[in-house]
Amino acid sequence: MRRVLLLSLIIIAMLLAACGGPAPAKPTTAAQSTGGKVVMLTGAGATFPLPVYTEWIQMYKSVQPNVTLNYQGIGSGGGQKAILDGTVDFAGSDSLLKESQYQKMPDLQMLPMLAGAVVPIFNVPGVHQLIIDGPTLVNIYMAKITKWNDPAIAKFNPNVSLPDKPIVVAHRSDGSGTTEIFTSYLGAVSQAWKDNIGVGKAVEWPADKKGQGVGGKGNPGVAQAVQSTPYSIGYVELAYAKANKIAFADMINAAGNQVTADAATMKDAMAAFANAFDKRLTTKIVNAKGTQSWPIMGYTYLVIHMQKNSDCNKTKALLNYIQWAISDQAAAQKAADLGYATLPASVRNLVTAKLHEVKCNGKIVLP
Amino acid sequence: MQKDIFAQVDLPRVYRRRQLVNSVMLGLTGLFLVLAIIPLIWITVYVIIKGGHYINLDFFIHLPRPMGTSGGGVLQAIEGSFVMVIIASVIAIPPALLAAFYLVTAPNTPLATAVRFSTDLLAGIPSIVIGLFIYAIVVVTQKHYSALAGGIALSTIMLPVIIRSAEEMLKLVPRELREGALALGSPEWKAALRVMLPAAAEGILTGIMLSIARATGETAPLLFTALGNDNYEIGNMIRQGVRHHQSVLAILGQILDQPADALPLTLWKYAQQPYPERVQQAWAVALVLLLFVLTLNILARFWLSHRRRQLGE
Repeated sequence: MRRVLLLSLIIIAMLLAACGGPAPAKPTTAAQSTGGKVVMLTGAGATFPLPVYTEWIQMYKSVQPNVTLNYQGIGSGGGQKAILDGTVDFAGSDSLLKESQYQKMPDLQMLPMLAGAVVPIFNVPGVHQLIIDGPTLVNIYMAKITKWNDPAIAKFNPNVSLPDKPIVVAHRSDGSGTTEIFTSYLGAVSQAWKDNIGVGKAVEWPADKKGQGVGGKGNPGVAQAVQSTPYSIGYVELAYAKANKIAFADMINAAGNQVTADAATMKDAMAAFANAFDKRLTTKIVNAKGTQSWPIMGYTYLVIHMQKNSDCNKTKALLNYIQWAISDQAAAQKAADLGYATLPASVRNLVTAKLHEVKCNGKIVLP
Repeated sequence: MQKDIFAQVDLPRVYRRRQLVNSVMLGLTGLFLVLAIIPLIWITVYVIIKGGHYINLDFFIHLPRPMGTSGGGVLQAIEGSFVMVIIASVIAIPPALLAAFYLVTAPNTPLATAVRFSTDLLAGIPSIVIGLFIYAIVVVTQKHYSALAGGIALSTIMLPVIIRSAEEMLKLVPRELREGALALGSPEWKAALRVMLPAAAEGILTGIMLSIARATGETAPLLFTALGNDNYEIGNMIRQGVRHHQSVLAILGQILDQPADALPLTLWKYAQQPYPERVQQAWAVALVLLLFVLTLNILARFWLSHRRRQLGE
């Protein structure tokens, strides 16, 4: 019995230590400068924008010390389910809500927040730069072009000595928004791809059937597969390639120009699709026609409620945060540093207009 | 007669053969023993090599820094794990002990068989299913993720572990002890509480420690219940509560009611981040988790074998 007592005493002591211990080490914390009540907002969903969202949330602590946001990357599907179940205040999603989901909750609204690029990565010993165009990429992934020294590749890389080696095709083994963007692009370039292979989070890769494919889980899995397999090609998010300093190929875009994935070419693609938004405020942005457009891109969205009947201060805090995130200079800079593209002015205006339509208890929250 | 028999057998040869077979078999078992423990040693050494470098004081006392920057810590995960394991213990231990007492006192009743059977089934349910179940009945009804929901999910994991180990430990208590207490006129509950429980206390605590080790390492049940929270810091919550003159109960409510982080959850999230700094921290978290669980396990086993020897098994 005495030992039980002793153990519980130890546990209580540990609890106290855990509570009191870190106090002196953290001089700046949320809500220190204000006397207002703290508003806590929870969001969950897409992992693709997670680095930016985490960064923004951190920055927003100094903008609005009494608003604490918590965003967790549980996947787009998980985020959509969470907002339908009403367990989060907002969700993040790379993929679009289905019509059946809108029917269940008609006040759901998708808001484009950021765009990201997908880039082809390659591992060909002795080759440091590669240029490739859409149809060639399709044929490689169709397993129709199977050798690196194929004339279709050599045509764009006249100064590179391409080896006579079979191409190993790396792809995601898990269902992924990255694959959806990539296959959307291949489908936009090639009707044959769209008809035979399709567009989606996971497809049946023709190269796999010929024994020339290799799968990897997540961006790290594909990057790993490409880096450890000579004469391979794969695709990852630009943000991932940048963070891990992985070389990626340039593309020939729809306008026939050679482009490299960066802030400018992404912005150009987004501007090219600025008027393409449907009534749900969503659009695809692959194979953009702009002269400097990077062709393989996708938007990531926040999902919010347009009508709330409780916690109006929470709704207001959320709308203010979103407004800040899409318009603040420093926030935009941060996103660009991480390899994401921020909204062009016209798209930003669309989102702002939507934010000003949100109602709580029948009243517009941001007049 | 005897002499004749021995004369027919080449004794040295038989012995040599037996010795050879013996040493070969001994060698084989030794080899497989080494093979069996290689994974544990490999994992431990590998995690120490990968994670050891990134463990420092900051790691334990700071919240995470933005991605792509080094430094910062996982205080929120340590505190979250701690809070949720306490919640889980508070929920799981009392009913588990009562169930164990029942199983020992009335071992052959149909209800006892049913309890034993369902306990084994519960122990076999994949933990992700438990997480989904708690999501459906707690998170969806409450309309938010919380440390409480995470704790409830973990308690479901701990329950069967404690019941079965406590039952084993109570069985080890000599029957005469209980019967003696009853014969002296002590009521059943007193015999259980004052005689059986103290006699088996160490063993039961060991079982509880093992279940805590198990719960601390679980990710799946927390994914849909605790969700994760980079800002989960009890010290902050208490200071804020004090500043706003909230009652102790209100502050406690906040601690339980917020989404919370946990070590395995953080490990899982960090390991799939694009940023090398995060992946390094994931290794460090893995090391902390591994050391914690190993220590708890080793302590518990040591204690248990000591106890078993004392009871003369």
